[in-house]
Amino acid sequence: MTASILVIEDDPASLELLKYLLERAGYAVYAASNGAAGLQAALQNNLDLVLCDLQMPELTGFEVIARLQADPRWRNAPIVAVTAYSMPGDCDAALAAGFKYYMTKPIDPDTFLDEIERFLAAG
Amino acid sequence: MTPIGKLAALAKQQSPDAVLVLTPAGRVLHWDSGAEALFGFSQSDAIDKSHFDLVVPTALHAEEASRLATALAEGSITFESLRLHQNGSLRYVCITHKLIADPDSGEQLILSTKKDVTQLRVLRDAQRIESKFRDLLESVPDAVVIVNPAGHIVYVNEHSLRMFGYETDELRGKPIEALLPERFRSSHLGHRVGYFAQPRARAMGISLELFGLRKDGSEFPVEIGLSPLQIEDTTLAMSAIRDVTIRKLIAQELLEKNVALEKANRAKTQFLASMSHELRTPLNSIIGFTGTLLMKMPGPLNDEQEKQLRTVQKSGRHLLSLINDLLDLAKIEAERLDLAMEPVDLAAVLREVGEALRPQAMQKGIAFKLALPARPLVTQADRRAISQILINLAENAIKFTDAGTVLLTLERRDGAASGPIEIRIEDTGPGIRAEDLDKVFDPFTRFGVHDRPIKAGTGLGLHLSQKLATQMGGQIHCRSQLGRGTTFTLVLAEA
Repeated sequence: MTASILVIEDDPASLELLKYLLERAGYAVYAASNGAAGLQAALQNNLDLVLCDLQMPELTGFEVIARLQADPRWRNAPIVAVTAYSMPGDCDAALAAGFKYYMTKPIDPDTFLDEIERFLAAG
Repeated sequence: MTPIGKLAALAKQQSPDAVLVLTPAGRVLHWDSGAEALFGFSQSDAIDKSHFDLVVPTALHAEEASRLATALAEGSITFESLRLHQNGSLRYVCITHKLIADPDSGEQLILSTKKDVTQLRVLRDAQRIESKFRDLLESVPDAVVIVNPAGHIVYVNEHSLRMFGYETDELRGKPIEALLPERFRSSHLGHRVGYFAQPRARAMGISLELFGLRKDGSEFPVEIGLSPLQIEDTTLAMSAIRDVTIRKLIAQELLEKNVALEKANRAKTQFLASMSHELRTPLNSIIGFTGTLLMKMPGPLNDEQEKQLRTVQKSGRHLLSLINDLLDLAKIEAERLDLAMEPVDLAAVLREVGEALRPQAMQKGIAFKLALPARPLVTQADRRAISQILINLAENAIKFTDAGTVLLTLERRDGAASGPIEIRIEDTGPGIRAEDLDKVFDPFTRFGVHDRPIKAGTGLGLHLSQKLATQMGGQIHCRSQLGRGTTFTLVLAEA
């Protein structure tokens, strides 16, 4: 069965890139261009993986995951932080906030899909 | 009462001298109005108490016991000593102990008279100081205040009078605490007693905030040097006092400047962090979509399109490494690079670096070799930083070598059994001109070799590597021979 992936990303070009790569690989992709829309999409759909940007206006990635994990069913969900890593400690902060994995921007299109498969396999 | 009896009673009541009657052990049997005035304790406070506990300073208990013994043995003794007032201050007193007999029981008692000679002592010491040291004390640039063991000001020089706002002679005989703000007085008393117990030259309050009190009630910060001054049989304390108002002001200003600078530096780091984030975001789609095009996901490319896209991709990646290096550099400059120092097995790191870079070397057709010791060499370092340094040095080596070998060697310096560890990155590239060698670690230094164009690079790699190495207590050296090759050596301490 095709895996469903939600991408929450406020930069339109980055969202387009992730969506393009994931759709080309045959995944069912839901796209949200801000935290609030992402939160709604996450709660409405049956998802296998969520990719979530950290720095977004209004609702940041940290707030999105905090609200999702208020629901016990989301406690252990595969949510990946996609971050334009800038300072040491950023990644640790993401893992501490409950993200299961993190990817740094810019993503490498050569290895991106392999990583997605790895996340899906690990669950 | 006869007129003579009245006069005798008046004299007894008004005498400034203290008259006491003690048992041979020192218990107070009689305590007159002179004693009340001299020591502060009332008759009812004193009767039946030990006069040792009331008025004899602890350090002088043995002396007083021996004086009493002498009076008992010889009938009387007169001497000068220090006695305590109820308020804790010390007075110089002239004492006579005289052996008397109780008219009723015939029991041995001591009649003790005491006269306050503090002012006399102060004047005598002042005259001694003036005759010996006056010129010296007036010529020194500091305010000088000389105090006797009882804490009375014996001598002040002109500087002191000006500094504290007093007229000549106003201070003589006053307790030294008069020159201190109220809140320091009781603790100063303790310091003073401690000082006279072990008088030696020293600076006072190096780490304390000390203040002087002017006559008009205003305060000023001071720095004080203390030294003992022996005048015949008395040890006085001489304090040289400096008004440090201006220095404090400057220090305060410097402190504020530092805080402002630190704030500016933090703001700079914060700015760089958000700047880096803003720059990476568009690069994400530039590098990403160039990648999808080159992977021919949307469709085939002709040769020229592919060539141009590769250029876009290379430039995009170059821009990314520039941003990364600049950010790292800014973090080092701001000393915010969080190095996680831990024991690192260097051979393991070298193997990882080798695996990552061997494909690049193979692509260029040059040999890539590792020479690792049989036993692990462990150093205290940040694993990520070590890896970053080695990748940088080895990538450079591959980049500049067109034929031959890049060799990475890990060993103890000079093959010794212990001591510094060396990692050498040797190439058979064109080498670096001698005059350029000392500039290789400068930022934005790039060398064109002979007539060939400058290779891609940010010009920050070696600079950063050296900074990282230094932060971990290590060092990178460079040797090169033109036409033969270059060796970079990372020296690290053993864990």
